[in-house]
Amino acid sequence: MSIYAVALDQPGCSVVLTGNEAVARGAIEAGVAFAACYPGSPTAEVLPTLAQLGDKFNIYTEFSTNEKVAIEEAAAASFAGLRSITICKADGFNVALDFATAVCLSGTRGGMVIMVGDDPAAHSSVKEEDSRFLARTASLPVLEPASVAEAKEITRAAFELSEKIMLPVVVRCTTRICHASGDVKLGPLPAAEKKAVLTRDQRFVTSALFAQFMKNKVKSAAALAENSPFNSYTGPENAERIVIACGPSHAYALEAVDMLGLAESVGVLKVSTTWPLPENFVLKYLKPAKEVVFAEEVDSFLEDGVMTLAAKHWEEVGRVKFYGKNSGHVAGPRGAFAGELDPDVLASCLGRIFNVPYEPPSLPNTREARDLVNNNLPGRELALCAGCPHRASFWAIKTAVELDGRDAIVLGDIGCYTLGLMRTGYNILQSVHCMGAGIGLASGLGKLDRFDFRQPVITVVGDSTFFHAAPQALINARYNQSGLLCIILDNETTAMTGHQPHPGRGVDAAGRPAGRVEIEPMLAGMGIPVTVHDPYDVEGTAGVICRLLRETGPRALVLRRACALVAVKGKKKDRVYVDPEKCIGDDCGCARFCSRVFACPANIWDAGTGRARIDEAVCNGCGVCASLCPRRAIIVERTV
Amino acid sequence: MVFAAKGSGDLKKEVLDRGLCTACGMCVGMCPYIKTVREKVVVIHPCGLKEGNCYKVCPRTGIDALELDRSVFGEERRDQALGVYEGIYFARAADPAVSRAGQYGGVVTALAAFAVEQGVVGGAVLSGGTVLEPRPVLAKTAQEVISCAGSKYTAVPTLAALNGGAGDSPGSIGVVGRPCQVAAVRKGQVLARRNPETRIPAAGAGLVIGLFCFWSLGPDFYSYLEEKAGGENIVRVDIPVEGLRVTTSGGERVWPVDEIRPYIREACSTCIDPTSEWADLSVGSTEYDPAWNTLVVRSDPGRRLVNSAVEKGVVELKPYPEERLPILRRAVLNKKMRVLHDPDRPRPGYLEAAGGYAGAVKTQWEVLQP
Repeated sequence: MSIYAVALDQPGCSVVLTGNEAVARGAIEAGVAFAACYPGSPTAEVLPTLAQLGDKFNIYTEFSTNEKVAIEEAAAASFAGLRSITICKADGFNVALDFATAVCLSGTRGGMVIMVGDDPAAHSSVKEEDSRFLARTASLPVLEPASVAEAKEITRAAFELSEKIMLPVVVRCTTRICHASGDVKLGPLPAAEKKAVLTRDQRFVTSALFAQFMKNKVKSAAALAENSPFNSYTGPENAERIVIACGPSHAYALEAVDMLGLAESVGVLKVSTTWPLPENFVLKYLKPAKEVVFAEEVDSFLEDGVMTLAAKHWEEVGRVKFYGKNSGHVAGPRGAFAGELDPDVLASCLGRIFNVPYEPPSLPNTREARDLVNNNLPGRELALCAGCPHRASFWAIKTAVELDGRDAIVLGDIGCYTLGLMRTGYNILQSVHCMGAGIGLASGLGKLDRFDFRQPVITVVGDSTFFHAAPQALINARYNQSGLLCIILDNETTAMTGHQPHPGRGVDAAGRPAGRVEIEPMLAGMGIPVTVHDPYDVEGTAGVICRLLRETGPRALVLRRACALVAVKGKKKDRVYVDPEKCIGDDCGCARFCSRVFACPANIWDAGTGRARIDEAVCNGCGVCASLCPRRAIIVERTV
Repeated sequence: MVFAAKGSGDLKKEVLDRGLCTACGMCVGMCPYIKTVREKVVVIHPCGLKEGNCYKVCPRTGIDALELDRSVFGEERRDQALGVYEGIYFARAADPAVSRAGQYGGVVTALAAFAVEQGVVGGAVLSGGTVLEPRPVLAKTAQEVISCAGSKYTAVPTLAALNGGAGDSPGSIGVVGRPCQVAAVRKGQVLARRNPETRIPAAGAGLVIGLFCFWSLGPDFYSYLEEKAGGENIVRVDIPVEGLRVTTSGGERVWPVDEIRPYIREACSTCIDPTSEWADLSVGSTEYDPAWNTLVVRSDPGRRLVNSAVEKGVVELKPYPEERLPILRRAVLNKKMRVLHDPDRPRPGYLEAAGGYAGAVKTQWEVLQP
């Protein structure tokens, strides 16, 4: 948004930044030298921000093929004494976890930060996952910013903490931190020279023998957390009722307590060092408390930690009642363990717990406004963009599966093409788990022939996901001769998270040319026969899939066509329109195919004329609908 | 003819799922939901409509033979074996290049190319491609027609080429097809006349040249052929009485006809029309002299084209040998009897509307028994 503000060299000045930009600025102020990332929402914008400023601040930035490689590279920079950061989403941290649980034993040198974005309510994820449990499994301290401003401060501090305890530090941000904008007070920019030094006598070895060292490091992190400026308490002294909150829930808690008029009696304890906990700091407020409410998002991490602490010190703490996710008292409309909190939800929960009546604020015409919207706006589902090559691919796959007639199983995973689950993808996908999972599942199904499983197996995978997670599963399928057809939906970008480049794109994170890693020779090297086709040729694609379905063993089809949003950038779009003479409207047996079934957002029904129409403002000019219209009534005017 | 108010769901249930589809191609591409692969027709998506032209034009959802006679020729048949006709001949293409490229005398290719060249029709739909990969073609020039020469023996869904707006201009497109395809076109024309506001692609059919066809083969036949050819390029396939004759780049070989029987399409066992009874012209082998074709002239437009072609020296005719007519009639009636009066087999549903047709066939068959 404001790369200028992120780079501004005016200490003390306040600028508006997003949470992701604030993290980038915090890393820059900390003198970060190395940043590696596989993009994932909600943290996808951190790396591009750093990449744009890479030359200015001497930072190496890269999009890595996956999170495990990214964390390993960041650790390497740390081993060489540099400050480094790796950025991922919760799901990505799973991929990195194998290394994370090892590097905590070997330790690190230069400050190393793992920024993880958790996505409460799964706005842009398939699941809600609480990465704090993973960090604890890997014995890595967790810091949680409660605001955009704090995101910058905590990031900077995380590098320092990491260097002190010689462990990577996890900065856990939720979507409402990453994507919110707020005032950030700028700190000084670093002047120190960055130099990588790794001598022959330095070793970074994982061994079970080092477990005690690791535990000691965690202990010192806990000791440091006792005086962390990011933990605070607001409210009366020796309060008998407290709310313990972290992340954006802290602000919600303050507001909720205020709305209920409880500020005089209920204290709010903000804990940003959620693991390891500053025990004495928390105990100070726990001891006088009789009732404790927890406000946090995704899972009951802080709650579990504090309850364990209370059990450990039961003699001092005495009788106390806990209200949280486990008791079911703190829960939004989706339940305690799903969805986000907000001031209203929290005020309702606190109102019930403390027996204070709470009526959510309502505007004078709320009901009228809702009725107006519900009665007049059409329902909108998640849909692939106009001209999306995946739509053409899915229609071709559907056609081929029906023509083949053997009930082929179609599997998928994570990317724009996950929408293949839904109506926009003709409900074609039968499985969605994590990146690359479709191929592993297909590889398994492909070996069930001895148990009379004879249906063909198709799995779709995007190009970015291909580089992230496909090769191992494909090598496995080839090695074990599993019968599957892997369709690589190659739109030449990481479309879903915002068109970040990947190894097949030919440019790096900073936009510089980088030799393409070609998919076809990779597959050929594995010994998997590969066909390439243009998905916009739907009929041809369906024919190719039909043919490939009749073949056996592992085989691959690359359906290559640039993401429609990328393809039209800076170009004059082809004009697509419906010839009202040729379209015969509801007299056609198509039953409004283009607008109702194929359902590209640019295909609309003109109720006035009783004919199909193209919404030219939305249309990206792909012309696929023209090729599917049985009356050939859709005309494509190619721009030269 | 009754055009039931049924749709693609019924088509699937009553025809496709029961193996009765002849892959004529009439419904393929009429809407976006009916597609074909390897000569199998599939409803890929339920359109949601209760009633559809796909069901109505299907030659296996109800045929009234006598109404089709009246519709095409203005009279009903007197000959149950050959249907309505005004002349039967031996014929061959005058141009040896055409007869070499075509099957036997090359009369189909010669007449279709002539009709396009003369502007009798603006183009012709026929089966093109190669023996192993045949496909529907809409040929716009005589040269394109000639490039489609040679019988394919499998059920190419040729009529799909009438869809997509090609058949919008009435009578503009010539059709070369199997008997089931001729029946589909004629049935579609009846429907188009009754409902002129709906654009039935069959309305675009002009001159119709029908082929003799006792059965066609399923797509697995291709694999069989490929195997038999042993990697050699297949130039031509022919199935005379003695068996399957395959001409490859390496020469010519013959296999007994019993070996290819398993590949006969299930739907063909319910067919009562081996000679394209509702075509303007029907053409087949002579089962006698491979240099010639049998040509049945059935309608006035057919007669005009043949006369003109003979006049311009495009085809040659000679009288059909009188002594061979009973042989042809018996072969045709035997096929009809197997379908209509086999006690072990239920009569196919699509013929229920045939009225006294079945009885008349039996009467003539009994008369012809030697």
